[in-house]
Amino acid sequence: MSIEEPISKNAPRVKMPIADALRSIQRPKFMGITFDDAMHYFFRGNATVSILVLFLIILFLFKEGGEFFGQNTQNLEIYRKAGLEYVDIVRSRVDDHRSLERFLGDIRIQEFKNQNENAEALAAFDASVERFSAAIDGYQGFVSEYADIAKELKEKYKVGLDLEVAKKNFQKEGKFEESSKIEIPVVDFEAETKVYRDSLTQFKALNETYQAEVQSIVDSFPPMPTAELQPRLDKFRDLVKIQRDNVAKLEGDLLLWDWKKPVGWSESFTSFVFGRNWLTASFWQDWYGIVPLFVGSLMIAVTAILIAVPFAIGAAIYVNQVASAREQNIIKPYIEFVSAVPSVVWGFFGIAVVGQLIRTFSEQGVVSWVPFFPISERLNIATASCLLAIMAIPTIFSLAEDAIQNVPKAYTESSLALGATKFQTIWIIMIPSALSGIVSAIILGLGRVIGETMVVLLCSGGRIKIPDFSSGLGALFQPVHTMTGIIAQEMGEVVNGSIHYRALFMVGIVLFFISLALNYAAQQVVKRYKISIG
Amino acid sequence: MSITLEKSANQTKKEAAMSTSSLINPSMESMMSETKPKPIIEIDNVDFYYGASKALHGISLNIEPKKVTAFIGPSGCGKSTLLRCINRMNDLVDVARVGAGQFRISGVDIYHPSVDVIELRKRVGMVFQKSNPFPKSIYENIVYGLRIQGVSDKKVLDEVVEKSLRGAALWEEVKDRLHDSALGLSGGQMQRICIARAIAVEPEIILMDEPCSALDPIATAKVEELIHELKNKFTIVIVTHNMQQAGRCSDQTAFFYLGKLIEMDNTEKIFTNPKQQQTEDYITGRFG
Ligand SMILES: Nc1ncnc2c1ncn2[C@@H]1O[C@H](COP(=O)(O)OP(=O)(O)OP(=O)(O)O)[C@@H](O)[C@H]1O
Ligand SMILES: [Mg+2]
Repeated sequence: MSIEEPISKNAPRVKMPIADALRSIQRPKFMGITFDDAMHYFFRGNATVSILVLFLIILFLFKEGGEFFGQNTQNLEIYRKAGLEYVDIVRSRVDDHRSLERFLGDIRIQEFKNQNENAEALAAFDASVERFSAAIDGYQGFVSEYADIAKELKEKYKVGLDLEVAKKNFQKEGKFEESSKIEIPVVDFEAETKVYRDSLTQFKALNETYQAEVQSIVDSFPPMPTAELQPRLDKFRDLVKIQRDNVAKLEGDLLLWDWKKPVGWSESFTSFVFGRNWLTASFWQDWYGIVPLFVGSLMIAVTAILIAVPFAIGAAIYVNQVASAREQNIIKPYIEFVSAVPSVVWGFFGIAVVGQLIRTFSEQGVVSWVPFFPISERLNIATASCLLAIMAIPTIFSLAEDAIQNVPKAYTESSLALGATKFQTIWIIMIPSALSGIVSAIILGLGRVIGETMVVLLCSGGRIKIPDFSSGLGALFQPVHTMTGIIAQEMGEVVNGSIHYRALFMVGIVLFFISLALNYAAQQVVKRYKISIG
Repeated sequence: MSITLEKSANQTKKEAAMSTSSLINPSMESMMSETKPKPIIEIDNVDFYYGASKALHGISLNIEPKKVTAFIGPSGCGKSTLLRCINRMNDLVDVARVGAGQFRISGVDIYHPSVDVIELRKRVGMVFQKSNPFPKSIYENIVYGLRIQGVSDKKVLDEVVEKSLRGAALWEEVKDRLHDSALGLSGGQMQRICIARAIAVEPEIILMDEPCSALDPIATAKVEELIHELKNKFTIVIVTHNMQQAGRCSDQTAFFYLGKLIEMDNTEKIFTNPKQQQTEDYITGRFG
């Protein structure tokens, strides 16, 4: 063999005539398939599988989440039928009254400071506050008494519902004997809720006492020792007026309540979409309102983007337009490296360093003029936002840098050739030309930030409550909870198939739609404003 | 002097009258072929490098005011490089540097540290090979140069737009769509927008790098006509691969080869009776 080889190498290559060559297919085949075909099928298969998997995931998401509304309808139905709703109508008045008390409490804190912490000067004020606090006692008593009744009724009803489920399950499994053994106690709501209707008679008297008492308190309220606080007391008077009218209307509202009124799907839907409470495993009533979580996510994300954008865009412009090649080689990998840090590390850093830093800063004397400083919570929107900003910077930076890079060099050149300075060229020509890319970079950064879980879970404070916007920017220093955080935190603990489980899926679906919308928006921005006309 | 290729008798007369009026002493007219007006651009023994590779070798030439000077030569011989040196566009290329020699405009060394490159570029405009209007309206394209100089008076800007567009022989075509995007125009119109944009800032010198290479013959003819008009007000340096174009619209022609200036003379002379064999070979297309 070894002798023959050189001969065959040196032998002249015989070329086939073109007509023969064209007709003869010589590619090797395996089971009738050429290699090219195989590659083709392989990649097509891959694409199909990934699309299919994605589709199934979405389907699963919707299947699991979709049943939420049915379950929530039932949840709300129990709330109504058992009279919890009735009690809560009264309770809302009591709560309003309590928040007025807190309003007075705030005034007192101020006054206490003004009086050099001398409680005696506030004796008259305190007496009035105490009287005001006691004015609602009648209603408070009603709530405590009837809450117990409602809870009892709810338990009774729920036992029935649970048995019903068990019975159905037996029937499904074909165990008809067992199923027929289960007796479902029938709750006679008409009779059970009579107690509420009977209670209506109390309110006339309650209201009369309340109106008279509050009126007399307001009339006899001693003037504030510090004149500057008087306007706030006047504000209190106005608020009390509203509250009194509200309480006066209570009886009418209660009359409208009817256990028979059916709970519709729309009610179930609105209680999720516009619900301001997310309250689970409660002794009283569970609420699945997404608003506090949504607001938390949104505030954190928007703040983070507001922090990140100047840095990211500034860095992109600097790196692309101003920096020397050496600087570029340092800055670019450095910024991109940031995205390689695991988010849990950022979360850890946030808890250990950033949160403490922000709080310490807020306690400094120099910033004591800021109304909401010092802040009380270490972990809050601002802390989470600062960290998310760091995480969003690489995304926005890279995409914006690409967009700037894609601005035709001819634009820059001809601008400079007309005697524009570098800054003018960047500002008037380059940024507007790259704007669509920059905006879509920001939108995608927002998507990245909204979907981020670990950092917000660790650093946002985890309080499920809509921040109090009355203190303006101070809202940024309040703890919140987020959509991603709640899923991560609660998904492991919920009972499979329970309403809570479904609610978390619904939150996931909302997140899914937000991401989808943001991606779509980014694409549209790029497409539609590819070339901006100034 | 009064004979240029393919020029109408009318134009030639006008030109002769002009050059005459610019002379101090009419009696000197007879001596004109020997006495040249003071050059506006002097290029003095310039070496130019891209990194380690030398792109221009000891170039020396003078460009006269209110004349059209054409740079010709085979691809890669350094025409664009030399042109871009005149308004320092090569500053944008990191590795580029002038190794030796001077570029003087009206006697000022433009690479001297005390020279403001922004001011230089206001006075030495440029039109590029590929028409590159900004992605803005026609109007905004024209006034860009003025806006960046801080002019914002609408009346002034309106006037300049009309004047520049008329100057670029484009006014009639676009006057009803001044606020449409400049990117919606034809290639030839876009190139004239770029010329209008360059003349709007009223430079002394306009550099044109193959301004017609992407245009069809009709658009080319329009731009050439325009160059001819502009000569009254501006000094023009044009790079072209089109021999007829160089012949038609320039007064002086410089032939480059491999980074060296081979020959420069009156266009008529270069095209009819060049001194160098290389020049003749190139012009006649016998170049290998
Ligand atoms: N930015 C650059 N970096 C490095 N070398 C360059 C650069 N620009 C041009 N050159 C080199 O300088 C030489 C002259 O180029 P130039 O562009 O001036 O030629 P030209 O005469 O304009 O050619 P053409 O007619 O093709 O436009 C060429 O060898 C080219 O490769
Ligand atoms: Mg060139």
